[in-house]
Amino acid sequence: MSGDDRADGGARSVGRDVPRNEDRLLLTGRALFVDDVEPTGTLHAAFVRSDWAHGRLRGVDVTAARAHPGVVAAWTAEDLGDYWAPGPLLVSPPPIERLEFHARTQVPLAKDKVRHVGEPIAVVIAESRYLAEDAAALVEVDVDPLPAVVDLEAGLEPGAPLVHDDLESNLSARVVQERGDWEAARAQADLLLARRLRYDRGAAAAIENRGIVAEWDARAGEMTIWDTTQAPIPIRNGLARMLGLSEGRVRVVAPFIGGGFGPKIMMFYPEEVVIPWAAMTLGRPVKWIEDRRENFFATTQERLQIHDAEIALSADGRILGVKDRFLHDVGAYDPYGLTVPINSQCTLLGPYDVPAYHSEFLAVFTNKTIVSPVRGAGRQHGVFVMERLLDLAARELGIDRVEIRRRNFLPPDAFPHDNNVIYQDFAPLVYDSGNYRPALEKAVERIGWKEWRRPEMRRGEGGRRRGIGIVNYVEGTGIGPYEGARVTVETGGRVRVVTGVGTQGQGHFTSFAQIAADALGVDPADVDVVTGDTREFHWGTGTFASRSMVVAGNAVHAAASKVREKAVERAAAELGVEEEAIELADGRAFVRGEPACGIGLGELAVKANPLRGAVRGGSEPGLEASGYFGPERGATASGVHACVVEVDTETMDVEIVRYLVVHDCGRIVNPAIVEGQIQGGVAMGIGNAFYEMLVHDESGQLLNASFMDYLLPTADVVPRIETAHFETPSPLNPLGVKGVGEAGAIPVAAAFAQALEDALAPIAPGLEIREIPLKPSRLWELVEAARARAGGEAP
Amino acid sequence: MKPPPFEYVVPDTLEEALEILAERRSEAKPLAGGQSLVPTMNFRLSEPGLLVDLRRIENLAGIRGTEDGGLEIGAMTLQADAERSPLVAERTPLLAEALPWVAHAQIRNRGTVGGSLAHADPAAELPAVALALGARVETCRAGGRSRWIDAETLWPGMFATAIEPEELLTRIRFPPAAPGSGFAFRELARRSGDFALVGVAAVVRLDEDGRCGMARITLLSVADRPLVANEGAKVLIGRIPTPAVIVEAARAVAARDVDPPSDIHASAAYRRHLCQTLTRRALTAAFDRGGDRPGHAGPRWRAGGW
Amino acid sequence: MRLEGEFTFHAPREAVWEALLDPAVIAQAIPGAERLDRVDEDRYEGTMKVGVGPVSGRYELRVRIEEKEPPERYSMRIDGKGALGHASGTAEVELADEDGGTRMTYVSDLAIGGRIAGVGQRMLDTVARSMTQRGLESLEREIERRTSGS
Repeated sequence: MSGDDRADGGARSVGRDVPRNEDRLLLTGRALFVDDVEPTGTLHAAFVRSDWAHGRLRGVDVTAARAHPGVVAAWTAEDLGDYWAPGPLLVSPPPIERLEFHARTQVPLAKDKVRHVGEPIAVVIAESRYLAEDAAALVEVDVDPLPAVVDLEAGLEPGAPLVHDDLESNLSARVVQERGDWEAARAQADLLLARRLRYDRGAAAAIENRGIVAEWDARAGEMTIWDTTQAPIPIRNGLARMLGLSEGRVRVVAPFIGGGFGPKIMMFYPEEVVIPWAAMTLGRPVKWIEDRRENFFATTQERLQIHDAEIALSADGRILGVKDRFLHDVGAYDPYGLTVPINSQCTLLGPYDVPAYHSEFLAVFTNKTIVSPVRGAGRQHGVFVMERLLDLAARELGIDRVEIRRRNFLPPDAFPHDNNVIYQDFAPLVYDSGNYRPALEKAVERIGWKEWRRPEMRRGEGGRRRGIGIVNYVEGTGIGPYEGARVTVETGGRVRVVTGVGTQGQGHFTSFAQIAADALGVDPADVDVVTGDTREFHWGTGTFASRSMVVAGNAVHAAASKVREKAVERAAAELGVEEEAIELADGRAFVRGEPACGIGLGELAVKANPLRGAVRGGSEPGLEASGYFGPERGATASGVHACVVEVDTETMDVEIVRYLVVHDCGRIVNPAIVEGQIQGGVAMGIGNAFYEMLVHDESGQLLNASFMDYLLPTADVVPRIETAHFETPSPLNPLGVKGVGEAGAIPVAAAFAQALEDALAPIAPGLEIREIPLKPSRLWELVEAARARAGGEAP
Repeated sequence: MKPPPFEYVVPDTLEEALEILAERRSEAKPLAGGQSLVPTMNFRLSEPGLLVDLRRIENLAGIRGTEDGGLEIGAMTLQADAERSPLVAERTPLLAEALPWVAHAQIRNRGTVGGSLAHADPAAELPAVALALGARVETCRAGGRSRWIDAETLWPGMFATAIEPEELLTRIRFPPAAPGSGFAFRELARRSGDFALVGVAAVVRLDEDGRCGMARITLLSVADRPLVANEGAKVLIGRIPTPAVIVEAARAVAARDVDPPSDIHASAAYRRHLCQTLTRRALTAAFDRGGDRPGHAGPRWRAGGW
Repeated sequence: MRLEGEFTFHAPREAVWEALLDPAVIAQAIPGAERLDRVDEDRYEGTMKVGVGPVSGRYELRVRIEEKEPPERYSMRIDGKGALGHASGTAEVELADEDGGTRMTYVSDLAIGGRIAGVGQRMLDTVARSMTQRGLESLEREIERRTSGS
């Protein structure tokens, strides 16, 4: 950002820990969440869900439910009539040659067949949720169970049961991307390492489950929908089409949302589609709030992939090429297209110079909950595979783990760097900027890598052993297509910023305010940010892919800059000076050097909207402007994670003693918010690494569908995260920002696995961590097996 | 996650509560802290027709020393109150050491000592401790009739007790600690507050000649009820508890006393391994504290201490 | 969920075999069984109430005997369904003479679904094992009662 973008003389707020505007509402319990919305006469819905992962739906009998006291309606797929239709394909496949993709999207209520446990079969609407649940228990569902597709390899075998009967196999997609000549790299290699690596499924587990309230105003012909969505505008447009209403007659509001993490994207979930129709059909507001048990089955999940990866290296540890073939679990339907596996495919390359790359993935339909991006969105897998391969290569070649990474970094003069593979935004994956070495050296110094060779560093309390891990990642963030914003100086002098993205706790009410505040010379506390209400703004897509600050932030900047121009122009006219002489600060416009000679922004806004007299031809009223921003491609964030673990070598209980993140997300708007994103992201990554795994049995049943058995990381297992920032501004946007929302979560498992191997090397030589998440029981098995292979040496 | 319909009464006196239970025995369920029962109702795993809330009944809560040097705890005593009680720390330090392992602080603020014993979760800490200490519980039924049940016979199976549906557990008595005795509680849980993967309570007594005169080892989360490890204890009796002897006892526990289950958190083999490790650690700490050496280290979140 | 084990009955093999296929005997032995009827030669239907502490529910049960080789082995197809979920799968039973008694070897593999599968994992294995043990012990008593009574 150049100097003239900000208010001259005024204190700049971008780059400072500005206290969050939204915290007052949140901390005093006055923030509106979807569950707080309950119009008079609201009815409550409960869904009857499949207990089977796979089966023919023989019949659904809602007679008893309809007769239950307080029940207003009980519907099956048949009752939806023409409204029943599979949901839209949200992300079409990117333009990659020879790509195979079979779109099969979710349905509002199951008809003929159920394809995962928790798939909705019927809906009961009653005067209260209690009554609705009582009646839902009376719905008789007759399912003829079919063998379930759970395992990815078995799912692709000929003769496997078919999730979608009209397809020839369970293949959802097959994509090959390559650059350079892998076979030649392989032929030249001094060292070839091939490993199978597995990354298992987890839940996003936002603190707020999903919810939707729909209110139909028959007189006005208007539908209002409060929805826990990250993308209210696409949801409005899609629901309007489905309901046969014009877009202007549908208002979608995403108020405060207790965490999104991806699954609250514009999914057109069955409940999201059924509830507005129910409100319209019954002429009463209808509300459905997902409970935690439903969330485990009905809200999208992510992560299961099995990689067969091979790396070719020279004797001095230089990467000659990587070949990877992986299976990706898409769940029962694939409305989100190829985003997650494409991210895995692209992110694997990391900050390294990989001359030859051959990557193929097969996406497989399974009888499990739908997969869509969850914070990291496939990038975890790529980082895990590459970093694991480098660790094993370092071990084989006798090279220090940090050194092998140094030797393979892209140099600072390599940017922009074209990886010659297509990314999730359909554009070639080009790294816009980066400087990897200084961040690694900073991490090496801060974590004390060199001292780590001393044996006393490796001993913890009571015979525990310590180990250290250090890994790198690159994250494509801030993809298009575009976002927009409208900035208004109100007559009272406050500034109003309206944008279309949804917000789920990222601090947008503050960071967007800072951007507008700096452009207009006001205090961020005097900027009111409105997000996620389609009545206020209806152009844009939503919050995902670490893009809000990059795309919407720059749109706010564009709009605020236009308003600044208007304000300066009008002030110059009012004060009778040249525009160049006007300065904006402290909520006023004044003549530079003569602060007393000025006018308040609010007063300027009044003058810009006169009640009498003539205005200049061609001028627009008010101090208001809209702005849009669409990046040509994504901005590349990067970083280094390092951690120290301490292992009880008997129980295999692991404690993360230190965790350090050195990262580069370009220009930082609000350091405290960035730290919060990193802290939360790492906590989520720790969950992925050692606590959170959705366990399915052979029949596709989820075995840990509650917080009793699905273990989220709690305060006692997440250490204080140490951070250090580098700022390499992105050249792709005026603010120079890159996304940071997902970064914390991405490389944790890779760092954790490396540190564990390091800690356990003395007692389990040759131990290789090739799967995530781990748990003490599994780690003990791996250690015992490694010990047995090594000849049963005692610890 | 809304419970099905149920009736709810809050009797003011014990006799009133007992009469309700006698009258509606098959459908009534006493409600103490509700920390286990209410979630199972919300999951619709449990559908009691009538909840009898015990919170208004006087004199069901309280901690007092008994004349013989033991301790008596009222059934409705909050786990948090027991945890903070100097009398518990002094007279039943094993109980004091185990209490912080019971779920989370917020749950201990509502959960009761008697509720935990009556709920009979095989992964719960308090039954294993009561069993290790040789506690007895008093139950009452309408008409002023009461009886005492030994911890040894209180738990016939998973979530099952010898308490009849028309009875209420009213008090728990812990006998005084024998001179020269030592104790320890060790547990491994995934996170603080989680159900134990395995837990071990040990009470030992060293005779004047330095030999083990008494040993009682109980385990949780390894069977359908809290388990007494007799084979492990037998190894110790009459012997000087050297590290080798302790290891031998721990091995006996793992090999002969337990046949642990497998679940999504831990395989049977790993649980068996934990039984040995945690028993060794618990016994080592217990013998350390036994004999003339007084005092004990505070409870720990993780199964540390070798 | 897989369960396997052995149990020794103090009764001759024929007596054990007969008892195992007699719905009246089995109804006595299955903990919580309320009713068990023989629908035809090899098919049985009934209801059972399973209560584990506060967690309880009523289940409808269908059993079909397959691959019967008297008095040595048979296998069963089991389907159960109730408010808390469903179970279906197979069980195989083998009988062999042993010191004047009969040794029974059993393996069952049941797919458990529904509510209990999602939130009841902590207890399923333990409950199944202890219910099986209790069932076999009461079966042993029932056989003993019958053989001594006859």
